Amino acid sequence: MNAWELIIQQPVINVLIVMSHSLAGNFGLAIIALTIVVNVCMFPLTLRQIRSSKAMQDMQPKIAELQKKYGKDKQKLAQEQMRMYKESGVKPAGCFITMIIQMPVWIALYQSIMLALAVAPEGLLNLSKYLYQWPTVYSALPLSREFLLLDLAQPNFILAILVGATMWMQQKMSMTTPADAKQAQQSQMMLWMMPMMFALLALSFPSGLSLYWVANSIVRVVFQYRVTGWGGLRRRAPVATGDSEKRPVRFDASEEIKSTDDVGADIVISDSDSARKDAYQPSRLNKTRYQPGRDRAQRRRKK
Amino acid sequence: MNLKGKWRVGRLVLLVIFILAVSLVGLGCVKGLVPIGWSGGAVSDGTLFVGSKEGRLVAINLDDESRLWTEALRQVSQSGLFGCSPMMGGGGCGGAAGVAIYGTPVIYGELVYIAGYNGKIYAYNTEGLALRWVYPRENYLEPFVGGLIAAEGKLYIGGTDGIVYALDPATGDKLWEFQTGDKIWGTPAVHGDTLFIGSFDKKLYALNTADGRKKWEFTAEGSIIATPLVYNDVVYIGSFDRNLYALNAFDGSVKWKFTGENWFWAEPVVVNDVIYAPCLDGNVYALKAANGAKVTEYDLDSPVSSRPAIVNGSIIFTTRKGVIYSLDAGTGEIGQLADFEQDVDGPLTAYEGIVYIHTQDLSLQRINPVSGAILRSVSLKSQN
Repeated sequence: MNAWELIIQQPVINVLIVMSHSLAGNFGLAIIALTIVVNVCMFPLTLRQIRSSKAMQDMQPKIAELQKKYGKDKQKLAQEQMRMYKESGVKPAGCFITMIIQMPVWIALYQSIMLALAVAPEGLLNLSKYLYQWPTVYSALPLSREFLLLDLAQPNFILAILVGATMWMQQKMSMTTPADAKQAQQSQMMLWMMPMMFALLALSFPSGLSLYWVANSIVRVVFQYRVTGWGGLRRRAPVATGDSEKRPVRFDASEEIKSTDDVGADIVISDSDSARKDAYQPSRLNKTRYQPGRDRAQRRRKK
Repeated sequence: MNLKGKWRVGRLVLLVIFILAVSLVGLGCVKGLVPIGWSGGAVSDGTLFVGSKEGRLVAINLDDESRLWTEALRQVSQSGLFGCSPMMGGGGCGGAAGVAIYGTPVIYGELVYIAGYNGKIYAYNTEGLALRWVYPRENYLEPFVGGLIAAEGKLYIGGTDGIVYALDPATGDKLWEFQTGDKIWGTPAVHGDTLFIGSFDKKLYALNTADGRKKWEFTAEGSIIATPLVYNDVVYIGSFDRNLYALNAFDGSVKWKFTGENWFWAEPVVVNDVIYAPCLDGNVYALKAANGAKVTEYDLDSPVSSRPAIVNGSIIFTTRKGVIYSLDAGTGEIGQLADFEQDVDGPLTAYEGIVYIHTQDLSLQRINPVSGAILRSVSLKSQN
């Protein structure tokens, strides 16, 4: 056994088997449980990554200003950006480095899942060399591949869709919208491309791996929500412009709207700050609000 | 699209390729994701039949090494974008194309039989390898990992669906079936009118060969996938609880058990009332057949998953790494014969003093254990 197998794979495989044994022989539950445990252990790193992303996101307006100011002088722009990052204590490479540190753990985890699943007879035979001398480990094998009517050794279409959906959700929540339109377009492409790619991969590999991907994305969504809220998933209020007459109206049950035939008003449900500023103000809105009696009279006059 | 735009798209494509590569390499490092097969050989009238890792039944004339092979067994379906679906045999991630064949072919009368991982059993003429029948005729059963056995005018096999099938060797018609509690990966053994077969449900079943009725069952603490050895009315069987059990063949009562440090995967052999049991802990245990007392143990440095072969009073073992040892059963001396540096998981075949070893590189290695000479290997690669 090489160092990777000895230090990383072997302990993870044995823990997975023991967990499966403890969870009534349910390997699907063991995958979910171990994914949660590993995520919790990695939480300090994940938290740093999320906070870095959030800080970068918060700095986007300032970066946009810098781009406006030094658009043509790339060198100066880079200098100013670096100065700003330094002042704010943000390390742009921080996210990437954290991801690089986490990557071997994720690779080890999914390799271990595949090994423990032993989809082919050769897999079960190979598994024997990873086992500790714990009686439970030997007797628990081979692990049951059934989980919620799924065969964890076979690809599953629904799980593949879930892989894509949860990954999209997680990415959308954590996505930084760059100030530059082209960069924004690029990150938008990545937002779709990554989940689609993993969904396609999930169609090709045993669904035990897909289950791990789904569980992992969900756990990270929860972490992301606890730290930054819904992030990119929050619906943004449209910015009121001169050529648009649409005005956001806060949907608030406590505010009583007396007119019941008040049709024609544009309602945008939003919880964003910008929406709150322009929230429903009867005195202002009454000017544009559709007033059945008066408007009908006006129309009649036009005819 | 301007140059900058093209560059951006190029970078995106590169990133996607990188992630794909990381994912595939990560999974590629996981050995045993795809079934490849480990069929042993069977010899009749100077012709050796073996299931190749390309999913073909190959017939080799041992006199002139000329080969004859069947069409590749048909796969159920090729699911999976990268051909890594576990239902595939051999193909995709690293294996040869075709259905995996784990069971050793069985020769019975004029026919040779083979079961595939695609869930079908095939019967061919030993002369010319013309297909005689297929079971089931329509559709596919669950994969077959265990091999067939022929005795008393019947063919027996256990499937991954947990069913023991008894077939008519001439027509392929089903005579009876017996449902166990889980998958069957082991090859059955027949002794008199009793068939012994282990299952993932941790049980060893003793069935009546006439009608498939259960005579008795023995429950171990781990799954049973090894092939039983029956000797002097005692059934010797390894289990995933790391025990080798000696059971009374008439009632399944335990005579003795011996605990190793890993699974007893391969079928043991018996010489001079001593059981030689290869274990995945890298040892071969020599135990007294009568009471299980350990005579000695031989450390082979690597797990042993292949059934040994007996040639002129010597027992030939191979480790999973392809190192061949010869153990003189009389003196108890053991020596290394060869190192093929190729994975070997299938059983060894001995014929007229020559041992045949099916290695992962699609070839059949040959060795004379008496002289220690390594003969020219036979390629099992088809020409097309």
